[in-house]
Amino acid sequence: MNRLFALLASLVFATPALAKDEFHLYNWNNYIAPETIKRFEDFCKCEVVQTYYSDNEELLAKLAAGAKGYDMLVPTSNAVEALIKGSQLKPIDKSQLSNLKNINAIYLNTPFDPGNKYSVPYAMSTTIIGYNDQKIKALGLPTDTWAVIFDPKYLEKVKGRVTVLDSANELFAAALKYLGYSANDVDPKHWDEAAALIKKAKSYWAAFNASSYIKELTVGNIWLVHGYSNDIFQANLDAKAAGRPFQILQGMPKEGAVLAVDNMVIHKDAPRPDLALKFMNFMLEGKNSAELTNLIGSGNPNMEAVKYIKPEILKNPAIFPDKAVEAKLEQLKDLTGAQRRLRNRLWTEIKAGR
Amino acid sequence: MIVVAVHTPSRLGRWLVSGPPLAYLIVFFALPSLIMVLASFRTPGEFGGLAPLIEEGKLDLNLESYARFFSESVYAQIFLKSFGYALLTTLFCITLAYPLASLIARSSRRYRDLLLLLVILPFWSNFLIRIYAWMILLGPNAALARTVNRVLAWFGHDPVPLLFSAFAVLVCLVYVHLPFMVLPLYANLEKHDQALLDAAQDLGANAWQRFWRITFPLSLPGVYAGAALVFIPAFGIFAIPDILGGPEDSLIGNVIKQQFLETRDWPFGSVLSIVLTVVALAFAGLAAWVARGNLRTPSSARGSRA
Repeated sequence: MNRLFALLASLVFATPALAKDEFHLYNWNNYIAPETIKRFEDFCKCEVVQTYYSDNEELLAKLAAGAKGYDMLVPTSNAVEALIKGSQLKPIDKSQLSNLKNINAIYLNTPFDPGNKYSVPYAMSTTIIGYNDQKIKALGLPTDTWAVIFDPKYLEKVKGRVTVLDSANELFAAALKYLGYSANDVDPKHWDEAAALIKKAKSYWAAFNASSYIKELTVGNIWLVHGYSNDIFQANLDAKAAGRPFQILQGMPKEGAVLAVDNMVIHKDAPRPDLALKFMNFMLEGKNSAELTNLIGSGNPNMEAVKYIKPEILKNPAIFPDKAVEAKLEQLKDLTGAQRRLRNRLWTEIKAGR
Repeated sequence: MIVVAVHTPSRLGRWLVSGPPLAYLIVFFALPSLIMVLASFRTPGEFGGLAPLIEEGKLDLNLESYARFFSESVYAQIFLKSFGYALLTTLFCITLAYPLASLIARSSRRYRDLLLLLVILPFWSNFLIRIYAWMILLGPNAALARTVNRVLAWFGHDPVPLLFSAFAVLVCLVYVHLPFMVLPLYANLEKHDQALLDAAQDLGANAWQRFWRITFPLSLPGVYAGAALVFIPAFGIFAIPDILGGPEDSLIGNVIKQQFLETRDWPFGSVLSIVLTVVALAFAGLAAWVARGNLRTPSSARGSRA
């Protein structure tokens, strides 16, 4: 009994001196290759402890509620903007980032973090069209326009086989793009137009879904989605592994789409900012960065990574878009409180089915 | 010592026994609720969370979030819809649980424990995993959807999707909450005195009369307890409509979740939560009140006949 108590006490009161150094990474699920973690652990002689969030909002809510203990976060640019304005981040000592030169300059010095005081790009994705090639080809539907998601003319052929993301920001962005506006348009009149467009298309959609559409695409229940490029890439890998007779392909809408750049940032209360900087510089190495792209098909802002990336991924225009498409991609900006409330009211009305 | 305390319940002894659970409730129910009530009067922070409580020396409390709730009919509409789903769930649960609970209560002791175990067996696996399992069962390529649609085709009806529909949400709500109805009903039915039914039969009551005039009135406390246990959680649920619902099946739980996540408007989320709590408490209070009233009915009925 005494020995049991001693054991419990040692677990509870374990002194940091005895424990191995720990690096706490708060990350998206499946957003770093296992072999990369292994190598970083050997390099830093520390242990990587990962916890996961499923969207930026979850991360923001948790930090706003006062969560502590994370060294590094990997939020999307608009969430980085909110975190900077909310004074949640620690400035980066760039003298320690010898590999920062590997990042393509067009992804540096962005409006949301001028001079990269707080953030360094990690990886990217786009929000595009994903489709079952067999079904969509047979129905003769286009895959290079948002019309296929919003226009009843096309939708009636795939009624009940379409899902869109359960995210007001993403869906409004796609609708605004289809209507010819910027994804970051904040004119309430344009928002009303977008809401009307969504309401008209809604009855053709099977669901607003951000969690299970990968699986539904893979098993062939859903044929067409508005979704994240990484997820659609994953659905195709799964379909291939399951020996399905169809492929899940990515379609880049000609109207343009949302580009999400995820960034490494250090939390203001990070217990080990030194390890966080080491990790940043490590992930900026071409090989380490390429491993993530090879695993999940994410876009990559790292110019040194290109030579390690599988050729079939490099060829994919949805992951590595050409200049013409790149020019039509937009990163979402963080909305103000009043804009968020207006958008949520429209969203609630859309979902209430009026 | 404890035995003595039970026999002569001193005030101290009672406090020692009831203190910890009471403290637990105060700390983990009352305090968070109070924090929520306070938050509902505050201003949302521009970048999430809440704006400072004291701004430039002035206390920043206002009714804006309440005004917003009452000025938009869409929220009342969603409340009504959620209420409808919760009510239907409760009714289906009563209909399904009643025969099951009485079967268990009347079965021999040997099988009773086994049957009860089967009722609570689903709790052994995670709630979310069970909902995801329903996605497979209701999917368009599953046997259920294919059979239903084959039957519909005979009648010349277009195929209907089962997954991502109000039907899927309701089926899963009933599935998840059924044990909470079976258990209190069973606990009640099991205590019924067989002698009452024998006496009724001697006096010429048929099976239906015996059920309707004796078993059912006596079981009402169990029905009300089960109804409260089913209705209240079903009213505020968000996971099931999120995962199984179609584009029309957003319930109040989902709207509350959005306020804390996408919209970053904690005060408004708090207002919606408070309204939800008040409606749920009112329902539970109503159930308790009706239950007390009905407990008296059988005795008064007997009295009037005598």
